[in-house]
Amino acid sequence: MIGIEQRSVCNGVNFRSVKDTKFKTVRMSVSFLMPIKKETAAVNALLTFMLSRACKQYPNFTKLGERLAELYGANIDADVQKLGDVQLLHLSATGIADRYALNGESISTELSKLLCSIIFEPPLEKGLFPLDSFEQEKRQTIELIKSEYNDKRIYARQRCEEIMCSKEPYGINRFGSIEDIKNIQREELTQAWHNLLEKSRIEILVLGDCHPDPIFEDFYNAFKLINRTSITPCNTTNILKAEKVNDVTEKMEVAQSKLVMGFRTQTAIPDENVESVILLSAIFGGTPNSKLFLNVREKLSLCYYCSSAYDIMKGIMLVQSGVETKNVEKAKDEILLQLNEIKKGNFDDNEINAAKLSLSNGYHSITDSLAVLEAWYLAQTFSNQVKRPEEAAAIINSITRDKVIDAANRVTLDTIYRLVGSGEDVK
Amino acid sequence: MNIIKEIKSERLGDHYYEVKHPSGLKIFIYPKENNNSTYAIFGTKYGSIDNCFKTSDEDQVKEVPAGIAHYLEHKLFESEDGDAFARYAKTGASANAYTSFDKTCYLFSCTDNVYESLEILLDFVQSPYFTEQTVKKEQGIIGQEIRMYDDDPQWRVMFNLLGALYHNHPVKLDIAGTVESIAKITPDLLYKCYNTFYNLNNMVLCVVGNVDYNKVLELCDKMLKPSKPVKIDRIFEKEPDDVVKPRVEQKLSVASPIFELGFKEHADENRKTANQIAQTEILLEVLASESSPLFKRLLDAGLINQSSFSYEYFEGPGYSSIIFSGESKDPDTVAKEINKEVADLRKKGINSAAFERAKKAVYGRMISSFNSVDNIANMMAALTFTGHELFNYVDAIAEADINSINARLNSQFKEDCSALSVVLPLD
Repeated sequence: MIGIEQRSVCNGVNFRSVKDTKFKTVRMSVSFLMPIKKETAAVNALLTFMLSRACKQYPNFTKLGERLAELYGANIDADVQKLGDVQLLHLSATGIADRYALNGESISTELSKLLCSIIFEPPLEKGLFPLDSFEQEKRQTIELIKSEYNDKRIYARQRCEEIMCSKEPYGINRFGSIEDIKNIQREELTQAWHNLLEKSRIEILVLGDCHPDPIFEDFYNAFKLINRTSITPCNTTNILKAEKVNDVTEKMEVAQSKLVMGFRTQTAIPDENVESVILLSAIFGGTPNSKLFLNVREKLSLCYYCSSAYDIMKGIMLVQSGVETKNVEKAKDEILLQLNEIKKGNFDDNEINAAKLSLSNGYHSITDSLAVLEAWYLAQTFSNQVKRPEEAAAIINSITRDKVIDAANRVTLDTIYRLVGSGEDVK
Repeated sequence: MNIIKEIKSERLGDHYYEVKHPSGLKIFIYPKENNNSTYAIFGTKYGSIDNCFKTSDEDQVKEVPAGIAHYLEHKLFESEDGDAFARYAKTGASANAYTSFDKTCYLFSCTDNVYESLEILLDFVQSPYFTEQTVKKEQGIIGQEIRMYDDDPQWRVMFNLLGALYHNHPVKLDIAGTVESIAKITPDLLYKCYNTFYNLNNMVLCVVGNVDYNKVLELCDKMLKPSKPVKIDRIFEKEPDDVVKPRVEQKLSVASPIFELGFKEHADENRKTANQIAQTEILLEVLASESSPLFKRLLDAGLINQSSFSYEYFEGPGYSSIIFSGESKDPDTVAKEINKEVADLRKKGINSAAFERAKKAVYGRMISSFNSVDNIANMMAALTFTGHELFNYVDAIAEADINSINARLNSQFKEDCSALSVVLPLD
């Protein structure tokens, strides 16, 4: 495995790189990390999208788009996610390795300059983002938030998270609310931009077939001009145990009902037990050999999908399924029963080994994709010690059966969310 | 005796082997020595459109229920001594399968135990086992898969479009069929379809990744059961060149309207050439990519957004269309603007700078897709069934000239052979 190089650009700005010529591409990204708050979530999200569309030299998305096409279909992308209670604002550039350029251009050099330019030199007019692109980006962000309603699987998951974490920052939509987007003023956007550059914790990752040194230089020179004396700390607080179960049913015109169950696991990064919960979740509902797949789907034929996913940053585990309304309670009971089986130790070595092998396969595949590798290192921003994927795999392999049982017994049900067809009642 | 051909690409610096195995199977082995993971596909040229067929050793034409290819895909995972997922559990491979309009593919990806996993793949796909009881059990699971798609507006808007474009071609039928059509599926019908289409002469094996080419072939020699060469006639009703209706609408639980606009083009048993496909990809880039004047106009008018607008060349046996899709407050105006842009572009001819940029963009993205073993294997399988060769296709992009793109522009995008499908929010 090719190693990761780490260096500091300036106060609170880390630069990490993995040079690997097996890739035919390069990928570089800048991630700004800020505590997610109701007051700033929308403006930060809008800003991230705005930045990705233009810069001084290419002042609108058509000009920037032409430039990216000339650079052999390179991409600049904006993305907003949550890492626990932290809002992660992500700008990335991807393109082909220099050796594939037909006219000898250095794509990585050009992309590094472009990425610096969109972040440090937005096309401001008298200190403000241009009005027309500002309005357009507002519209697009509102449409993006609305579109998440269209996919009922995503919608139901988000509703469950919202209800479960209504008293925690994690319950805030990563793009903020539609109302908040509408109310943003241009002055606030400029202020948010200064805040981001001066106060947020920043992770720069450069991966793939390119020399990281000149890219480091570009960012080093750009950050030299920024005053970064006080950095906003990012923390995630976790509710360890559910006090009582939230039980919510909502109706909508849908053919298939969705069931989402949210559990508290008492375990999140940087806790050393996260790997036990990762293994628990895999045995419970992470693979086609898991308890949920084999029982809720294969044995009872209740659904097409029924799976669990554990969020290591927030310490919650969600189980999702799509079922007939008349079967919602049956599915819910079976899901709880299967969790109880693990709590009681009713699983054999085959189940543990299958989950370990499957997870290990996943970890060892991480270094074959630049996007996945980037996500891996970003997710570890808040770990006490940065692990390489194969180190994580080794830890998983050493976990004993008792640890899995312990992890299962720390799990409590927090929220049951059902989205059912209107005119139908859950039995 | 294996007939082995090595195929090289100077452009990519990659190579692979094409093997004609004595069993009748075509095998591709594409080494990626520095990859951790290996990806394998065992696929058959048999998809949801193949509902009416005749083999050269039979007189009778056979008609089967819609959705049977997909049903067969689900059922093939089961054999007399347990299911394939349970076997993969011992190797750690991540396994799956999919059925599309014209093919069914079984696949896995793994980092360890490659040959053990490959043996499982070759074995279970060649070992059908269908009983009344196992076939019945699947009705509930696939029934829920169909219901899930009933709620998926992207899926609905596409099939509504295909229903508006195609009078007779089975591409208009849902891949999974309907709850009613799958109720007619019996073990006998599954065996009939299996014995017809899972003939090795109608199949392909693609292995991409960190593999020893001789070991793959040894395993193939051990596992493959020779098939007698049988010719399969797929019988399609004649499809007129015109559309069924120019507009189709459905109301669903969506936040804002979504649309697909399709331009139908004449298609018969001869597939489009690699050059034609590459030229259309470049043409679409010129016409509607983010750097195009059309895109700017639509975006500035608030008619589309960057996160949802897209286009594709949708081409297969007996069908061929260009499809634009996205969210819009006014899909009819989007359609009008696209038609207007096509007319203008025909009049003026394509600008040479725009052509050069588009070609570079399509080329660069093609190069990038060779990072991923999954992409390579899936492209190889798809191109093989189309009668094209992978590296040839890359060359077709690099060698396209502006005259050929203008010619495509003049022969495609017939307004009177187009249809608009819209999904509107509920009242």
